[in-house]
Amino acid sequence: MALAFDEYGRPFIIVKEQEQKTRLRGIEAQKANISAGKAVARILRTSLGPKGMDKMLQSPDGDVTITNDGATILEQMDVDNQIAKLMVELSRSQDYEIGDGTTGVVVMAGALLEQAERLLERGIHPIRIAEGYEMASRIAVEHLDHIAQKFDFGPTNIEPLVQTCMTTLSSKIVNRCKRPLAEIAVKAVLSVADLERKDVNLDLIKVEGKVGGKLEDTELVYGITVDKDMSHPQMPKKIEDAKIAILTCPFEPPKPKTKHKVDIDTVEKFQTLRQQEQKYFDDMVQKCKDVGATLVICQWGFDDEANHLLMHRNLPAVRWVGGVELELIAIATGGRIVPRFQELTPEKLGRAGLVREKSFGTTKDKMLYIEHCANSRAVTIFIRGGNKMMIEETKRSIHDALCVARNLIRNNSIVYGGGSAEISCSIAVEAAADKYPGVEQYAIRAFADALDSVSIALAENSGLQPIETLSAVKSQQIKENNPHFGIDCNDVGTNDMREQNVFETLIGKQQQILLATQVVKMILKIDDVISPSDY
Amino acid sequence: MASMLQPQIILLKEGTDTSQGKAQLVSNINACTAVADVVRTTLGPRGMDKLIHDDKGNVTISNDGATIMKLLDIVHPAAKILVDIAKSQDSEVGDGTTTVVLLAGEFLKEAKPFVEDGVHPQNLIRSYRTACNLAIVKIKELAVSIEGKSLEEKKSLLAKCAATTLSSKLIGGEKEFFASMVVDAVIAIGSEDRLNMIGIKKVPGGNMRDSFLVNGVAFKKTFSYAGFEQQPKKFTNPRILLLNIELELKSEKENAEIRLSDPSQYQSIVDAEWNIIYDKLDKCVKSGAKVVLSRLAIGDLATQYFADRDIFCAGRVAEEDLNRVAAATGGTIQTSVNNIIDEVLGTCEVFEEKQVGNERFNIFSGCPSGRTATIVLRGGADQFIEEAERSLHDAIMIVRRALKNSTVVAGGGAIDMEISRYLRQHARTIAGKSQLFINSYAKALEVIPRQLCDNAGFDATDVLNKLRHKHALPSGEGAPYGVDINTGGIADSFANFVWEPSVVKINAINAATEAACLILSVDETVKNPKSESAQGEAAASAMGGRGRGGGFPGRGRGMRRR
Repeated sequence: MALAFDEYGRPFIIVKEQEQKTRLRGIEAQKANISAGKAVARILRTSLGPKGMDKMLQSPDGDVTITNDGATILEQMDVDNQIAKLMVELSRSQDYEIGDGTTGVVVMAGALLEQAERLLERGIHPIRIAEGYEMASRIAVEHLDHIAQKFDFGPTNIEPLVQTCMTTLSSKIVNRCKRPLAEIAVKAVLSVADLERKDVNLDLIKVEGKVGGKLEDTELVYGITVDKDMSHPQMPKKIEDAKIAILTCPFEPPKPKTKHKVDIDTVEKFQTLRQQEQKYFDDMVQKCKDVGATLVICQWGFDDEANHLLMHRNLPAVRWVGGVELELIAIATGGRIVPRFQELTPEKLGRAGLVREKSFGTTKDKMLYIEHCANSRAVTIFIRGGNKMMIEETKRSIHDALCVARNLIRNNSIVYGGGSAEISCSIAVEAAADKYPGVEQYAIRAFADALDSVSIALAENSGLQPIETLSAVKSQQIKENNPHFGIDCNDVGTNDMREQNVFETLIGKQQQILLATQVVKMILKIDDVISPSDY
Repeated sequence: MASMLQPQIILLKEGTDTSQGKAQLVSNINACTAVADVVRTTLGPRGMDKLIHDDKGNVTISNDGATIMKLLDIVHPAAKILVDIAKSQDSEVGDGTTTVVLLAGEFLKEAKPFVEDGVHPQNLIRSYRTACNLAIVKIKELAVSIEGKSLEEKKSLLAKCAATTLSSKLIGGEKEFFASMVVDAVIAIGSEDRLNMIGIKKVPGGNMRDSFLVNGVAFKKTFSYAGFEQQPKKFTNPRILLLNIELELKSEKENAEIRLSDPSQYQSIVDAEWNIIYDKLDKCVKSGAKVVLSRLAIGDLATQYFADRDIFCAGRVAEEDLNRVAAATGGTIQTSVNNIIDEVLGTCEVFEEKQVGNERFNIFSGCPSGRTATIVLRGGADQFIEEAERSLHDAIMIVRRALKNSTVVAGGGAIDMEISRYLRQHARTIAGKSQLFINSYAKALEVIPRQLCDNAGFDATDVLNKLRHKHALPSGEGAPYGVDINTGGIADSFANFVWEPSVVKINAINAATEAACLILSVDETVKNPKSESAQGEAAASAMGGRGRGGGFPGRGRGMRRR
């Protein structure tokens, strides 16, 4: 990096290891940054919308992921360029906050950068472009508020929620059975939601998957599934009205934590010790029986002696259940986690209507279903599918759908999808642009163009004539003053998104616009890149 | 001839590089100018950011002068002084770090022709010092006090100062939003000088408008054990117990060993251990606390015990968070569970666990003592939040400073122009060389408005002439005029609420002058070979360059003693 020369042409050594650093500055730096950002957006562009394609990604370990989810694609791509990393983070933060629309936000940012490049070439100051974008994003967000509609739903009327989740799922590989999956997602969210506080803790929804069966076999379990089986093969496979003792102590003689040593010098002492140990087992099992437990779920293992004893006393047991699952079981069954046998009381037992062991197909895999629980605040979505990749992708899709449902519970406003919201915003922004004096006007107009390009990508991916379709929809929107017209991706015959039931959440869309603008501003504001040259 | 036979006297170690004389001075000045050029473009509301990528792969995107200077990893000995003044400005007033570097660079640049013409540096230094003192007196004179206003008025005045600082940052688009947040936070902690009572938490995701201020404490959910989800997550007016002990089943003494000779006693040892922990837990419960926080681990047993009794607990809370909770809720951190009296329990209006982005946060709000505040920052990317944090830090410092010193001056280059005019006027009354030097000092001060224009893409000469004209008006009404960044003309900065605390300017001018004087007073650099070894190659190549340019043997530049 040649930082400076004095008047005799000799370089100053000002920065450490100056020769090994590279420096890009001014318009060059901006151009390089923009093209990096655009490159990332270009990769995701084809994944947008219901006819978007999937990407296949192979990790260094050889694991293959096939996905359509923007955040996942970028995460797995392992990009090295700093600006590209910003785009990855952009997509990730959309994922954290909203859970859906991760592809759209990157495409939007890419379009904004592309427009900015043109403006830069015209000699507009990058910060003025960024400021113009900010103004435009504010207009767009307000406009979205304006065209948004409230969606009323209740625990009984879940149809609107299902429709919105279906819109999300339609772009995924699982769109074949989007209806049942959307229903599952909505029901799951509603059963854990706290409608008064508008809070949904997605941790209470467990998403499990097992290879085999078909996608249609995916089911919602009002309760918990545990990938474990009974500790003894001869224990009953089905328990009705189970009373569950949830233990975090092992079935073995208690050990003091302090170092200890028992001196045994006579045969009698050995005998007593032996008897005492046996008595412990006996007491423990008896204790469980006494309080009326019909099933024991234990976080730790127990040795064969205890296992045998449990079998003998007809007390089914499950061992090595993980802490998280244990907690979910406790929540679902209304039981308490008991750390010590002495603390067992009948009140602390969890209750479940049905506990059954289920085996799958011809494999020996067995799973434990705990259903009809006292408190159904914890649920499990159990996914079946032809192969591992399919299941993973389904899990991601379900996650998106869960997030959408959660967002609707938080804020029940929706906008119409299919690019209609973008087109409508674009019209509003374009109209507002003329009111601004100064250079920002150009940036605001460019923002409107960038909004259009999201819809163009949608049309392109659906195999339509992008420009023609867009202009037709745009004029239709203006003519009929109706913001519900979008791009008819599925060739249904109407492009009124209201009739097609294509919805997206308002906060998701607003977040997309704001986040994209924010990151673009950050990229535009950089005019100097100093890096070690081997990057 | 005889002198040739005289043995050469070796004073310094082999390989020591010494350069001396006027030329060395000029070379130092050039190096400083080069460094100032790096941060030049970050000044002002249209300033750009720098992306700095270090060898370890860490990336910082920043607009903050001190941060950039720190990350540049400067090795040039003279240029390092600039890094130091940026740092000192940062720790003293928190803002104006770019300004100080720029001013120092410009003072040196102005001094260069004089040095080359053979003026003795000490003369320059003396004049610069005089000019500096005059400038500071003038600033104090021009400063407007905000003392004695009501709290509401003061708040809006402070917010304006904060907004001026924030306008040059990445979060400039939302400066009003953040300015009022910062002012609220600073006023919340009161006049006490405890900056660590303002916590800044970063949560990726969301947009910056989703950032919020908690009038109390907020921290991320800590690691939890099974049973945690069964605890209640919301309390109103809970009593809060703060601990610094482990609530876990564990051996009481590390190296103790129990020897039993009678196996039947075995159970009693086990029971004794359990009793210890149950006893502790029982005392916590009996204290009446509904929220139990500990700096050390709270184990699964305790978690379940508390869950059974409808108490919320969190273990492994970071120390600074715990201290903030203690300050906010009025509680005291206990190192034992014995004798918990009511006074050591804290309280707050509402405690709640909330979802923020992808994380769950424990939020204590409505605290009685109100001496803490937490800003939860949201943003689209990690780097974005990092930069937002730095910007808020600047703004917080500015507000604190303004609160203490309570005087402000007009920003946007207005104050610099006014001092420049004043110094020029003063210079004319001086007979002697000093007149020229003070004049050049005055010229150097104009770099601030000039750079503001340059960064915004305006014609600097044009704007500067307008400003000079305005400031030269005999009535003095032109004093608050500065660069109008929106139109490319000039405007009354004071009326437009572009305000800076006067202490920022005073400190900047002081530090920059000191640094310039320091560099001007150096006429020889002795570089030890050892410290050079890390980059021996670089030095060697530079010396080669020196050899080629060796057309000026008489000037003593780059003399090497072997």
